[in-house]
Amino acid sequence: MVFVPSPTHGEHSVTGTEQPPQPPLPVKLVIAGGFGVGKTTAVGSISEIRPLTTEAAITEVAAGVDDLTHTPGKTTTTVAMDFGCITIDPTLKLYLFGTPGQDRFGFMWDDLVEGALGGLVIVDTRRLDDCYAAVDYFEHKGIPFAVAVNAFDGEVQHNLDEVRWALDVAEHVPLIVFDARRTGSVRDALLVVLEVALSRAEAAEAP
Amino acid sequence: MGVGGAAPHEAAEDPWGAREPVGRASAIRPFLLTAGRVTGGGTAPPIPVETQIVATEDGLLVLGSLTFEHHEIVAACRRPQSVAELAARLRLHLNVVRVLTEDLRAAGHLAIHRPNAGTAQDISVLRRVIDGLRAVPDSRGTLRDRD
Repeated sequence: MVFVPSPTHGEHSVTGTEQPPQPPLPVKLVIAGGFGVGKTTAVGSISEIRPLTTEAAITEVAAGVDDLTHTPGKTTTTVAMDFGCITIDPTLKLYLFGTPGQDRFGFMWDDLVEGALGGLVIVDTRRLDDCYAAVDYFEHKGIPFAVAVNAFDGEVQHNLDEVRWALDVAEHVPLIVFDARRTGSVRDALLVVLEVALSRAEAAEAP
Repeated sequence: MGVGGAAPHEAAEDPWGAREPVGRASAIRPFLLTAGRVTGGGTAPPIPVETQIVATEDGLLVLGSLTFEHHEIVAACRRPQSVAELAARLRLHLNVVRVLTEDLRAAGHLAIHRPNAGTAQDISVLRRVIDGLRAVPDSRGTLRDRD
């Protein structure tokens, strides 16, 4: 990326004392989906640093049709979370967090997702079940998101209408095909999410 | 809190040594570091994962007197970075880093730049991110391990 020094932050102090540099404004997008669906690949394809991993706590909500009490049991689990970043300019840095998916559980990433610009749910059409929880989560939290089918080996097993029907994704949610290995493809998928976020923010500001 | 794996704690020797996504943090060490605390002690919600941490002038002045993780954290924060990056590079659990950075902030050694709540709905920020992302070329060169 072209590094354009800003008038306010471009000058590095050359005085004798060590001045703490001004940090950028951090923003984040969340990349969700089932295990092995290509989250880390997508982060690595566009991140300017090699993806890092840290451990985070997520709250799992045990889901089950036999739960008549509607008070699902909650457990906190430590999971590995991969992430990368893109320096937009010296005053603005975009982080991409790949959130772990868990089979057969609902899960709450409130800790990770709080303040996110939006989310991208990556789907492997061979394992559609793995991404229900992520779609539900973003819908429920009202976070702008898009669903991206990862075209493994350049092929998608189902057509998009079938995927939309199977996942019960609302018409207003963009559903796209992308390749998690290609920088340009990941960039365009993230742009779809950001356009959703922008139109929602503009609609909220409209009189 | 769940129990992590039993990877050795290597950060003290070489915090920047990890070239690949790092392994799981030590299961026991975090409790020693934080005396069992899992949040910042106060009632404030935990700092977001992208929160920027930067060493203060005072922190750098007393760096020589700080030990172990406190030393590593303040030293690493010469360059501003997110709490998530700090945790990954020092191979510490995210919540442990949250506790330790809060301690170091209270002591005046670190500044914590908590993001504003309304940023995600800020039209000008969203437009800047969109423009910046559009400028990313179709393919990238070799990834940097750090900047």
